[in-house]
Amino acid sequence: MNEQQRKFESYLDEQAAACKQRIQLLAEDDRTDEGNFEKVRANIYEIFKTILSVAERVCGEEDGAKRDFFLQKAEQIPTSWTASYEKAKQSGDVEKMHIESIKLDTIQEIKDMCMRIWEGTT
Amino acid sequence: MTEAEAISLFKCLADKSRLQILKSLAVEDMYVERLAERLGLTAPTISFHLKKLSDAGAVAAYKNQYYMMYSLNKEMFRTSILEILQQESDEAQKQAQRDADYRQRVIDAFFEYGKLKSIPVQRKKERIVLEVIAEAFDFDRIYSEREVNIIIADFHDDFCTIRRDLIGERLLDRNGMEYWRMKNG
Repeated sequence: MNEQQRKFESYLDEQAAACKQRIQLLAEDDRTDEGNFEKVRANIYEIFKTILSVAERVCGEEDGAKRDFFLQKAEQIPTSWTASYEKAKQSGDVEKMHIESIKLDTIQEIKDMCMRIWEGTT
Repeated sequence: MTEAEAISLFKCLADKSRLQILKSLAVEDMYVERLAERLGLTAPTISFHLKKLSDAGAVAAYKNQYYMMYSLNKEMFRTSILEILQQESDEAQKQAQRDADYRQRVIDAFFEYGKLKSIPVQRKKERIVLEVIAEAFDFDRIYSEREVNIIIADFHDDFCTIRRDLIGERLLDRNGMEYWRMKNG
């Protein structure tokens, strides 16, 4: 595992841990629904940490290939979230819209961080 | 307010952010961005909470120029919790049926061919048994103690205990040696 991957993996771990801490705080503060939204966010970090490890298995030590594999999945997977968001918007399902937008915002943030780490700008 | 509406409202209120939104709306009508700024939450989160509050009937929305304004449904909050509790339950019929079934089971267990087999130890069961015995007394009629004892003895030999308990449960009342059946017993 190279330096960039290690850095990216620890970013995903830290984000998931921060979400879990917020879930706890929100539960203590009687903000259950917002806690559930944090669970959604934490889940996305965990899913993409798994994808990162899959990238390593599939691409071996070839660094650029790993990043490309990861970014490709990060483009593919959210297409169904976008469709789901649009569907929810049409039917005025505010809760579903909010969940899908959290997922889309989180994956955008993950993709940006991935690029920054591999470009060495962070 | 129906039971389902009350449950929906209580569920909705059991959230600090939603309570803060309602508190803000109690001060004045607001739009999403204003609430978001005031409460330190994102606009989509506020929209989500407002939808829940709106579904529960706690807030109403109206258009004011470019903004969708939200206001507190003050009418709903004028309903007292006691009023909600005093509403007939959607489950009332089922509960009444369960109570009737329980009552019948107790009667079947303690009476045999119209005779009381034993005086129940549990107060709730004894009350049911005493209610059955009280039915042998007419309303608006004064009984002597002897008459009361004879009527009770048809059910059970321990007429002293049962007579005393009928008084204790306010199914019968007495004045000296005269007894009568209580109407609200």
